[in-house]
Amino acid sequence: MGAMLRLAVAQARRDRWQLCIWVLGISVLGLAAAAAVGSEFGGEAERAGIIAVAAANPAFLFLRGLPDGTGIGAVVFFQGYAFMAVLAGLMNTFLVIRHTRSEEELGRAELLGSSPIARSAPLAATLLLGAAANVLLSVFAAAGFAAGGLPVAGSAIAGLAVGAVGFFFVAAAAVLAQFLPSGRGANGAAAALVGLAYLLRGIGDALGTAEASLMRVTSAWPSLLSPIGWGQRSRPFTVADPLPLLVPAVAAAVLAVLALRIRQRRDLGASLLPDRAGRARSSEAGRSMVGLAWRLQRATLAGWALGGAALGTVAGVLGPVVADTVAGNPSLAELIARLVPGSRADVVDVFAAALLGMAGVLGAAAGVQAMLRMRAEEAEARAELLLAAPKTRARWLAANLAVAAFSVTSVSAAAGSAASVALEASGTTTGNGGTIILAALAHVPAALVFTAVAALTFAVVPRLTVPLGWGLLAAGLVLGQFGELLRLPAWLQNLSPFRHSPALPVEDLDITAITAALLLTGAAAVLAAVATGLLNRRDLTN
Amino acid sequence: MGTGSIVETGALVKDFGRVRALDSLRLSVAEGEVHGFLGPNGAGKSTTLRVLLGHIRATSGTVRVFGLDPWAHAVRTHRDIAYVPGDVNLWPNLSGGEVIDLLTGLRGGADEHLRRQLIDEFEFDPRRKARTYSRGNRQKAALIAAFARPARLYVLDEPSGGLDPVMDTVFRRQIRRVRAEGATVLLSSHILGEVEQLCDRVTIIRKGTVVESGSLADLRHLRRTHVRATGLREPRAITSRPEVHDLRVEGTTVEFDAEATDLNGVLASLAEAGIDGLEVAPPSLESLFLRHYSRLDGQAR
Repeated sequence: MGAMLRLAVAQARRDRWQLCIWVLGISVLGLAAAAAVGSEFGGEAERAGIIAVAAANPAFLFLRGLPDGTGIGAVVFFQGYAFMAVLAGLMNTFLVIRHTRSEEELGRAELLGSSPIARSAPLAATLLLGAAANVLLSVFAAAGFAAGGLPVAGSAIAGLAVGAVGFFFVAAAAVLAQFLPSGRGANGAAAALVGLAYLLRGIGDALGTAEASLMRVTSAWPSLLSPIGWGQRSRPFTVADPLPLLVPAVAAAVLAVLALRIRQRRDLGASLLPDRAGRARSSEAGRSMVGLAWRLQRATLAGWALGGAALGTVAGVLGPVVADTVAGNPSLAELIARLVPGSRADVVDVFAAALLGMAGVLGAAAGVQAMLRMRAEEAEARAELLLAAPKTRARWLAANLAVAAFSVTSVSAAAGSAASVALEASGTTTGNGGTIILAALAHVPAALVFTAVAALTFAVVPRLTVPLGWGLLAAGLVLGQFGELLRLPAWLQNLSPFRHSPALPVEDLDITAITAALLLTGAAAVLAAVATGLLNRRDLTN
Repeated sequence: MGTGSIVETGALVKDFGRVRALDSLRLSVAEGEVHGFLGPNGAGKSTTLRVLLGHIRATSGTVRVFGLDPWAHAVRTHRDIAYVPGDVNLWPNLSGGEVIDLLTGLRGGADEHLRRQLIDEFEFDPRRKARTYSRGNRQKAALIAAFARPARLYVLDEPSGGLDPVMDTVFRRQIRRVRAEGATVLLSSHILGEVEQLCDRVTIIRKGTVVESGSLADLRHLRRTHVRATGLREPRAITSRPEVHDLRVEGTTVEFDAEATDLNGVLASLAEAGIDGLEVAPPSLESLFLRHYSRLDGQAR
């Protein structure tokens, strides 16, 4: 027990800055949302307005969550909770994999394991650290809401709802770490699980039933499969019922015990899904820079593309269903007719545009990740081995840029094709398939800008590549999703490349949209060229 | 076999921020020789090799590899270089065979016969994923990739660190083979014995500066043999001799160091004293540094 505590303290020491940034970042998001709603939507009537619009728009429900009345707290929770929960999930899965599977893969676990401690003690220490981190997260998130002017009791439950989801993912990641042989694979699988939790909640909410007043929506059954869905059910600022939070907490306890039992029984370094033997010879393509870049990216890309295809499928399958729901609700139909006079932008289109925009962000993430891998290659000294070959650094960068650009495009294409096929299959006649695919691809230029910026960062400040690469993408996402709500100045919002992608099929593909796409692509090309030039000027650094 | 310089640095300086890693380092490697590059950990061996590969740029001084500046002409110089880094890290999800094919492929492809032979001799399993390889196996993969295609210059950074004695023999055989074919080898190490068996000339560096350079015979003056004798009937006979350095006596056991030129006299005295056991060992680089260069430090101060 004493040894386990010492291990937990040692792990906490290693993580202290990283965890501070995650916890503060998530809490500040809650604080900012609370402050913004408080000042911008001070009146009951204004809040009723936005809630009604949201309730009438399944895309909104899918992305954000469930409207729960017009109280300030309820509006904040509706706007911010799902995103905070996703961030909490990622914080915790990364935390757990970093201390478990990655440690085993790098051989450090062996060093620790030789000391007189139980085989499962390091994992137990990580679970303990995760639990402590989520207590901290709950407290800070609650403090953020309260500091933003929300009632303390409700804030406390809302904070717990964030922490409960975080704790669920601590345990879930601990189990995944037992199954997968590599830290990278385990991180990918765990992040996909967080995405799945968001997706299931989104489907449940988009299919939810709106009350006649349009002030409250009750979600459909798929949200019961998601810890984030259970977190929502606590409805902190109305009924304030902490009981639903017990579901993810109990699930976490069960998973944690399972992970500990597996760890106690398995060999160090072994995994339930073992590594297959590789090939004794590489293919012809595997002997080039592009071949290597592709080889390193392909499994990750399959994951991102699957995510894109899932979003596209949801857009195509769910769009018509929610359109029917809306049509069956007279007050909703009336509201939509009032909001969108031309009715050109029907419900299906709005829904598709929102989800394909999300897929665009996934594409950008795939591209950025491909560039960040170059930094890992350099920091882990593989670049040194590779660049001892008679190939220029420019060629190395170009190979990775090509794979990154292909990744960006194929994630969007996967989303667009899936949406198009699903719409076709459901017999919906809005827009032909080509338009939907084009709508997905419209986000490619903006995503390429993020990829090129990551390349430039790598060329100039290699040690900051990873934090800046993800940080800028997160900033772009927050500006896009929360810019309006937080009433950020227009110039700041316009900094995000995503702001300049047309939201087809709702908006038209006019000359402005085409010019913007060309300008973004050109900017990406220039940034990539500059990065190529600058990479030659610096030392390789570990 | 020519006599030109394959590697030549003049007053090479490399700073990392405020830290001076290399300080007016002069290194000269002639064509066709196996050159030992010796120094304790942290002396700047790897940094020098990285400069020679153009991975990092010299802060000042001249660097020539095949007569070219490796920073400006990295690709041209790399065409004729095979490199094995000190800490071999491989792509965890590639098999060993794929890694070898990638590294040789980038250089223009392996000699198939050599590749097969090397995999065989190093007893290397090319099907396993690199993530499952031990340090020695990762080292083998990099060595096989380096030797599977002929090069003019082999740059090897502490290459036998993870190898067991049997594999070390295979490694030495390869060094002798490429040398016989006329290639040049620059081999860094912190083990004097390894360098002695393989190298024609050595350069010894310490804190980023060359402290000794020359053929092994030239460095003979640095070499003291370590002697340990047990069961002496008459220790006085040996302990009173002036050629005996760093003497330690424990009962009937003596340990001391002696210059190579004094060995005849010292051994005769030992025989005179009467012994029942004798161990004679070459000096380790560590002891050499401890003795020789810490004294230099003392004089400088």
